[in-house]
Amino acid sequence: MRNAYLVYAAKRIVQAVVVILLTYVFTFIVVSILPGDPVTNVLRNPQNGFSEEEIQAIIAAQGLDRPIPVQLWDALSGFVTGDLGLSMRSGRPVATMIAEVLPSTLILASMTLAFSLIIAGLIGYGSQALPRKYGQGIVRGIPSLFLSVPNFVIGLLLIHIFGFQFGLFRVIDPNSFWATFFASVTLATPISAQIAEVLVANLDNESRQEYAAVARARGLRQVRLFFLHLLKPSSLPVVTVIALMVGEVLGNALITETVFGRTGIGSLVQRSVSTQDLPVLQAIVSLAAVVFVVVNLIADLVYPLLDPRVKLVGAVRRPTTADEGSANIPSRVVTE
Amino acid sequence: MASQDKLTPPLTRIVTAPRRAGPLLRVEDLSVSYGPQEVVTGVGFELGRGESLALIGESGSGKSTIARSVLRLLPGNARATGRITFDGQEILALPERRFRPLRGRGIGFVPQDPGNALNPVRTIGAQAQEAAALLDEPDKAIRKELILETFAQVGLDNPGRAYESYPHQLSGGMLQRVLIGLAVLPRPALLVADEPTSALDVTIQKRILELLSRLQQDLDISLLLITHDLAVAAERTDALVVLKGGSVQEAGSTAAVFSAPSSAYARKLRADVPALNPDRYAALRDPGFARLADGKAKIAVSGVTKTFSVDGKVLKAVDDVSFAVPAGTTHALVGESGSGKTTTIRLLLGLDQPDHGDITVAGTPLAGRSQQALHAVWRHLQLVYQNPFTSLDPTWKVEHLVREPLDRFRIGTPKERGEQVREALASVGLGEQFLSRRPTALSGGQRQRVAIARALVLKPDVIVLDEPTSALDVSVQADIVEVLLSLQAKLGLTYVFVSHDLALVRQIAHTVSVMHRGRIVEHGTVGEIFDNPRQPYTRSLLKSIPSGIEGGTHRNPHAFPLKEQIA
Repeated sequence: MRNAYLVYAAKRIVQAVVVILLTYVFTFIVVSILPGDPVTNVLRNPQNGFSEEEIQAIIAAQGLDRPIPVQLWDALSGFVTGDLGLSMRSGRPVATMIAEVLPSTLILASMTLAFSLIIAGLIGYGSQALPRKYGQGIVRGIPSLFLSVPNFVIGLLLIHIFGFQFGLFRVIDPNSFWATFFASVTLATPISAQIAEVLVANLDNESRQEYAAVARARGLRQVRLFFLHLLKPSSLPVVTVIALMVGEVLGNALITETVFGRTGIGSLVQRSVSTQDLPVLQAIVSLAAVVFVVVNLIADLVYPLLDPRVKLVGAVRRPTTADEGSANIPSRVVTE
Repeated sequence: MASQDKLTPPLTRIVTAPRRAGPLLRVEDLSVSYGPQEVVTGVGFELGRGESLALIGESGSGKSTIARSVLRLLPGNARATGRITFDGQEILALPERRFRPLRGRGIGFVPQDPGNALNPVRTIGAQAQEAAALLDEPDKAIRKELILETFAQVGLDNPGRAYESYPHQLSGGMLQRVLIGLAVLPRPALLVADEPTSALDVTIQKRILELLSRLQQDLDISLLLITHDLAVAAERTDALVVLKGGSVQEAGSTAAVFSAPSSAYARKLRADVPALNPDRYAALRDPGFARLADGKAKIAVSGVTKTFSVDGKVLKAVDDVSFAVPAGTTHALVGESGSGKTTTIRLLLGLDQPDHGDITVAGTPLAGRSQQALHAVWRHLQLVYQNPFTSLDPTWKVEHLVREPLDRFRIGTPKERGEQVREALASVGLGEQFLSRRPTALSGGQRQRVAIARALVLKPDVIVLDEPTSALDVSVQADIVEVLLSLQAKLGLTYVFVSHDLALVRQIAHTVSVMHRGRIVEHGTVGEIFDNPRQPYTRSLLKSIPSGIEGGTHRNPHAFPLKEQIA
């Protein structure tokens, strides 16, 4: 079992790396064949006031005079070794520019995700453990409430209450801790609702299973029933939802950063798009691909740990029907 | 007796409360309703200490609802009135906080379907520790010892492996042993077993029931057994309560109710037990024996072998199997789970290709046929599935379900198809009012009739029946069998009947092949197999048929092999 899992994990990781490299190549090619040459559009734009010598120097530094395949190979080998090239505008290494703004975005995104999980978990627990007369129905109504209230209303409410009434943070300083805190809460609200809906539906389904009744008949308290029995099987689909939500979290984080002028990937994207700074854009697109692939990789790796029935290799055709199930046919296929 | 001795330490450690006088469980005037619908009406019975009682009835008789009332596991919308007294305490009136200590410790529960009764994502050991937590034993290692001891006692041959396993790694019979072990581990005074064997093979069923009887004796536990099978109940319990539509039809000691049922319903239940009435359908079936001699073979299977490789190991699912079925007769394939029955019929239907051997249906060989050619064969070869609760699309109307094969094979005009659908439904005893219903509005028996009509509508020569009654109650089963046999008498159909229920096979088959681990170990007419079995395996299968007439052999609980034989 251990061994099979390691082989499975290794395979998945290799696959993930291949996907990331292919994404990089794909974006590179798309960017290269797009109409609109950055050299003409940006560098030769008279407003920017580059002299012809400066333009030639930039072209030489970026290697834009070489054939596309050579540029691709160069960029790809740089990408693999962590060298993302130089910004076309400032001439600074792209890796450094990203490293400067990445932490702030990561903090916002991971706080958002953490809040989403906490809120969804509380809703899930309440939906099962709270007695009907103490407001289980209200708890079950929260996800639809969270989904139907627009994000900005929650944001404005939080700013009004905690910013103006309690003076917890200064509204004009978007990088302070409390500002980040409440920004994450705002972002987490609709996301937690989506996770909670899946979680509650699955908890309901699991609690109707015969094993839940049998465990109850064994004298288990509701609290233990929830944490020992219901949570783990119910969280399987939640893992999938979270993996999908990470994209939404990042997207929303970028928008929030741009709107509120926080430093972060969002502001970097905005700047490099407006100046057509291709090396930076290419790096950010690849970074997004890396995030997605890694998140899905984690989901893939977590799944077999949560559910021992997950088969680690492609299904082998076995003679199984309801009648001839597990008697003398080994019922799991885990080895490679 | 060794296993009993082993259990002495935990028994002394758990000092039970002094016994109160009176019966252990008394149910008085119990009524349960789901919303406006009352499913149990004024039921009452008593169960003494160390005694056993069976609640018998078909689906919808309220027997499981009564069991769940005793366990207080009714769903939220159910309302129970009346009195249930367990060991002097009134269960229905207790708040959950006061009832919870009785769960497991006072009342143990053995559920119906062992495959769904354990959490699939946790190890059996982790779940066993929950039951062991009721023992007031602080040391986890000692608790584990007790669990392993109990596992050995319920006949798991490798308790350590079972402890480490996840539920899906064990067979149904082994899981039911685990569940029984978990239920008896905290030494409850009462064990409620809700159809503990209906999801299991006949041979496993016998072993599980014997285990329950033995534990009941050894540990002095009272047993409340819920079953639809009168024969099972009569073999295992001291008293019977026969239920229908939520009220008691008849109650009394097993000997009295079983040998001389006074109510009409109990008499019908008794008549529906296949093992007690082997010749019930003789009038319909026996003319078929004449066709054995002169009829030419409708189906010929010769030297068929099929292997699968699982985990790198090669598994011979079907090993050199040959049989022939004369037209108009019924051939039964019997054997336990994993014996290769299902693989054989998959090969017969052309759903899988055999590695070796030939299969001929109505003179046409199946081997090497294209999908289209198989299509033509399927018109004459139809299948009725095991479970009518899952084999019919719940969103379709009956008319659509039965008409689908005609649409598939483009037979007749729409008007003719409608006619044929009505005809097929009429032949299984369903009127026109069923045409617009959906499967959810049908009972199990009606669903299986629809499934048979669906097979019949193409006017096939051969129908393959894959355990067609195993998901149904004994009384509904009798109904379906009657439909099948009259159809055969009327239309001259050839049946291939797959089953592990030998009593049923004896009632309806002409010839029988006994399968064991992919091979046919014995073959003959139904008379030869049942009256004069030559193979020990066949004899052991025959012995597992519950007949209700072992009378009191459950009082001698040690006369059987203790361990589950794992193939």
